[in-house]
Amino acid sequence: MRALSRSIALGLAAAGLCALAALPALTAPDAPGAPGARGAAPVRLAYLQNDLHHLALWLALDKGFFRDEGVEVTVAGVFRAGSEVAGALGAGQLDMAYLGEAPATIAAARGTAHIRVVAQVNTEGSALVVNKTSAINAVKDLRGKTVAVPGLSSVQDVLLRKALAEGGLAPGEVNVIVLGAPEMTPALRAGQIDAFVAWEPYPSRASASGAGRVLCASADIWPRHPCCVLAADKAFLAARPAEAAAVARAHARATVYINEHPDEAAAVAAKYTGASLAEAALAIGRVRYDAAVNVAGEREYLRLLAQLGFIEIKDQERFLDDFLGAAAGVSGAR
Amino acid sequence: MKKISLLLPCLLVGLWQLACTLGLVADDVVASPAGVLAGLADLCVSGMPPGRLLPGHILHSLERISLGFFLAASLGVPLGFCTGGNPRARALIMPLIDFFRPIPPLAWIPMAIIWFGIGFKSAVFIIFLGAFFPIALNTCIGVATVDRIYLDVARVFGASRLDIWRKVLLPGALPSIFTGLRLGLGIGWMTLVAAEFTGVKDGYGLGYMIMTARDLQRIDEVMAGMAVIGLIGLAIEWSLAKLAGCFALGRKAGRWIRI
Repeated sequence: MRALSRSIALGLAAAGLCALAALPALTAPDAPGAPGARGAAPVRLAYLQNDLHHLALWLALDKGFFRDEGVEVTVAGVFRAGSEVAGALGAGQLDMAYLGEAPATIAAARGTAHIRVVAQVNTEGSALVVNKTSAINAVKDLRGKTVAVPGLSSVQDVLLRKALAEGGLAPGEVNVIVLGAPEMTPALRAGQIDAFVAWEPYPSRASASGAGRVLCASADIWPRHPCCVLAADKAFLAARPAEAAAVARAHARATVYINEHPDEAAAVAAKYTGASLAEAALAIGRVRYDAAVNVAGEREYLRLLAQLGFIEIKDQERFLDDFLGAAAGVSGAR
Repeated sequence: MKKISLLLPCLLVGLWQLACTLGLVADDVVASPAGVLAGLADLCVSGMPPGRLLPGHILHSLERISLGFFLAASLGVPLGFCTGGNPRARALIMPLIDFFRPIPPLAWIPMAIIWFGIGFKSAVFIIFLGAFFPIALNTCIGVATVDRIYLDVARVFGASRLDIWRKVLLPGALPSIFTGLRLGLGIGWMTLVAAEFTGVKDGYGLGYMIMTARDLQRIDEVMAGMAVIGLIGLAIEWSLAKLAGCFALGRKAGRWIRI
């Protein structure tokens, strides 16, 4: 019996060793520039579900801007939170993606995704929404209330904390919870939360449906705040720079197109978000589509995220160079 | 617990630490055991999200699981008895159970949120769905598969209907019932963590804690949260085994097997 259990233990130990030996292979990201993939495989992109900020991608897809630039792309994922997008980038499942600047910064700072910002996607475009019938008329009225954000350390979370601090509220005075953006309006309507901060079109839809009222737009909290970015995996950038540049060009063209043809953009937005044309047009008006990377904005994110204790960066300038580097240079925002 | 039970976990943790120390795995993808311990300490001291400490998360999750499991057991066991002991009841009820059983509890989340909101009731409902079917089914099978000979012998000796239920069917089905309870609790636990991923009103729960740690890309805290869930599961499993021992299952109706 003893001999039997010993041999079982040894066998299991051997199996464990083999598994450990295989770990590096399992955890190593898929090589984006692997032979065979070069030139042939389409660029794998991702965006956030129902996030109107990512309209440039939808427009570029629908108008064939990527094809015009000579680059093949495929939507390899539609996600519900920026941290999920960052995880997929880190796992090598994506080459480039649209996501919030805050989650992108966190992932880059923590090393869970080796990414770099290629272009800005938008500034502003979120809002703090309260129940239509509530007595909350200013940020300071949120004391003791429950406020939902779509992710800890999301752009919306950072905006809320900035607003609370400016409204004279200490971090512990408001109950901040994380909730999926689609669940926010029903929860607000049912009185389970008192307010939420979300990206468009959720605030516009909450107002349109009569459930909510916009207490303040994110532009009121932080004018021209950078929001979403187009980020790329560094290994992909190194292996296929021309394609990355082509995607960035198509993105920039789509961004200009949105501003020049708001009606057409609203139709695309309605298609991808399921919103009505009127809702989409209203929501688009609350987002600034801008492809220029804003270094001062990223600096502010670093300050706020460090202040919240979410990241710790020793050499800020070096991080900025690495994270924004070429993109900041190209846009001349430096 | 036997000494040998500790061998594999210790060996595994040792190898895992070794792999991390030697740099075989990148520390931004897999935290080392030491890193997980540090993450665990952070969860207890500063909390995740900051200010919400680990004991609060454990308490809230246990509260949800207890009520959900209690409801599932108090409905599932009687239903299992009913369908197991009576073929006509089985024919009546089983098709419905077999229809609802393959629907994953997580597929109910959107409905649960509409019906019960994002709080306590919603989580309890999801856990109930996860735990109910294994409990009902195993009880039913346990009762239905009690050897007919025992029933015949009892009848020959003039046992009443009540005697047959109390002295033959119940003891005969107990091992299967306990298997159902164990499975139900395990599945309930899994669904709870997933249900909490959607968001919870009070901001507490182990699943919620792991999700927010993910938002901050804190791999060490994510893994520490997983370890906590594993340890709680282990503790519950052992308590159930003890409970089974109290029922003297080992002597009367087959042995409790630790898997």
